[in-house]
Amino acid sequence: MSDRLFISDADLHGLAGDLIGAGTEVVAPVATDICQSPSAIAATACTLDGSKVDIDYRALASADEMDLSRGLPQLSLKGYFLPEHEALCRWKQRGITVEVEDVPTEFAPRVVLAAKPCDSAALAVVDQVMNWDYEDELWNGRREATTIVNLTCPMIDDSCFCTAVATGPDDVKGADGLLTPVDGGYVFEPATDKGRALAEAHKARFSSHVEADTLGRQADDERAAARSRVAANLEIDAASVRAWIDTHFEDPLLSQLAIRCNGCGACASVCPTCHCFDIVDEEEGVGRGTRRRCWDTCQAPTFTLHASGHNPRDDQHVRYRQRINHKFAIYPLKFGEVLCTGCGRCTRVCHAGQDLIEILQAIDIAARRPGDATAEPEEAAS
Amino acid sequence: MTEAAPVYAGVAELQRVARELLEVGDVRVIIGWEDARRGARPVFVSDPADTDKLIFDTRCVHNLVTYLNPRRDHVAELGKIGLVVKGCDVKAVAGLLREQQIDRDHVVLIGVRCGGVLEENELPAALALTPENVAPRCYGCDNREPSLTDHLVGEPQPEPPRPVMTIDERVAALDDLPAEERWAFWTEQFNKCVRCYACRQVCPLCICERCIVEKTQPQWIESAAHPRGNLSWNVTRAIHLAGRCVDCGECERFCPVGIPLSLVNRKLQQIVHDRYDYTVSDDPENAAPIGDYRLDDQQEFIK
Repeated sequence: MSDRLFISDADLHGLAGDLIGAGTEVVAPVATDICQSPSAIAATACTLDGSKVDIDYRALASADEMDLSRGLPQLSLKGYFLPEHEALCRWKQRGITVEVEDVPTEFAPRVVLAAKPCDSAALAVVDQVMNWDYEDELWNGRREATTIVNLTCPMIDDSCFCTAVATGPDDVKGADGLLTPVDGGYVFEPATDKGRALAEAHKARFSSHVEADTLGRQADDERAAARSRVAANLEIDAASVRAWIDTHFEDPLLSQLAIRCNGCGACASVCPTCHCFDIVDEEEGVGRGTRRRCWDTCQAPTFTLHASGHNPRDDQHVRYRQRINHKFAIYPLKFGEVLCTGCGRCTRVCHAGQDLIEILQAIDIAARRPGDATAEPEEAAS
Repeated sequence: MTEAAPVYAGVAELQRVARELLEVGDVRVIIGWEDARRGARPVFVSDPADTDKLIFDTRCVHNLVTYLNPRRDHVAELGKIGLVVKGCDVKAVAGLLREQQIDRDHVVLIGVRCGGVLEENELPAALALTPENVAPRCYGCDNREPSLTDHLVGEPQPEPPRPVMTIDERVAALDDLPAEERWAFWTEQFNKCVRCYACRQVCPLCICERCIVEKTQPQWIESAAHPRGNLSWNVTRAIHLAGRCVDCGECERFCPVGIPLSLVNRKLQQIVHDRYDYTVSDDPENAAPIGDYRLDDQQEFIK
């Protein structure tokens, strides 16, 4: 417990200010009332009750912008490590000679404050595939340059289920430390050398005096309460779910669960763990251009379209099965953990009502069914 | 406080019609709306006993015609569809008929008389419509009595309320801005685009076998989400729907980053109306300018 520090609300803002002042990029949730901006006309909500707050992770221009009210940013932290699009190299061609210009793979130090535990955990999960048969320098470079401090999440709503997928609202997985709100400020618990170094470098902002039976207990209670709130949303047996998906590729349940899916791919864009990308060459005039990678999604028909014209995933229910399969069977079988941190964004963003909580519950029930009804028809018993 | 919506009297009739269609075997599946954990959503019912899941209320926003898209093989495989439609949704059916995408006798349309829907479907219960919560596109609705249907249920409904600010008023407010500010506005909006193509996937009229954005030889539209790629995608999408868009607003509703696509769509509708005297309607015979040539078409732009 000696590792616990206290930082007041003012000092947390002060810390952000110090970092920004020293030229370090600080990323944190920023709440924008878009109705107070020139873009108000964009949102019908502004014509309704005159206020629509968007929360996004943004590079702070000043510490006051940081929003610690703990809503969920629209997009996860993913884009700060795997941008929507980024250059991989540039080329110039003259006759038969091609000159390739690499892009920098070293990045300036950066600090993320008040990250959602589901978003930092996702980075740790994706680290595995980014260092599997190829070490992705761009991903790793940004990961190494970034110090992430989580903020214990109170739970957003009934679509949160981080505790059902081996993480939690107070997890430090993928992060370097955790802030938990207590009276007058936050208890800070560093989790890595980077986290300790941050506290050490800004010693004056922290107090090492955290009474175990007052502030310490308050932080523990807050963390336990958040965990039990989320746990009430969904409880599954991840191992049986994985085994069921792995052995029921053709099960009609999977296509039934996908029937209303429009294949719009919005779920993959907002998902903190979806990391698939496409590589395109953009010509910029004659004989020169940029090779760029862009987010892609297995929900798009072209994702698996072969040059021959054949498409092994030629229909939406098959593509949706792939989404479930990759997250809850393929990835855990390969890397030992599910490719989902239970943030619930996919469910919230789906206006057709594809609901991952409902889908996992349905698979969990099928997996727990003794003897599996599809394998042993009732007639066999009579 | 917003009040609960009055109970829609046609629900029992809707369920009865759906059940009979399934029992007789006229259709194999009914696509309608149901009440789920997060609110109203599309439901596929193939067992007559399940027709009591069907609902209709102010949360039934989803334009189900998108499931008639001929490229939705997994829906087509279910067999003949009975589709529940609001009056506005029928315009999308008319669009598909107009463009020979579906055969009218391959679908049974169950129309629900509708007095407008909410902007949001993710609500635990239906709310009475107010200027603050009504979907702005419902203003001035001329399809409360759906046409083209095989069955029609529900009582005649009152006019939806006028929203606080109509889509036309918002378009006019943008038109009033100096060009640089309008450009700045749209640049900011399109910069948010993450190129998920949700707008295209949920559009009942985005029916191209292969979307131009997926053509890579040559690459007409850059697939990266940078300002150049985003502008060419969003403008191309909008123009391809000029005179075809039925204003169901699904593109905007499904956009995960909140780009106000209905403002672009409405602006193009206005231009098509002014230049070609054409309004998208529920009449499948009324050819859209994009697929029609007339000797008196305006062509002064051809120099």
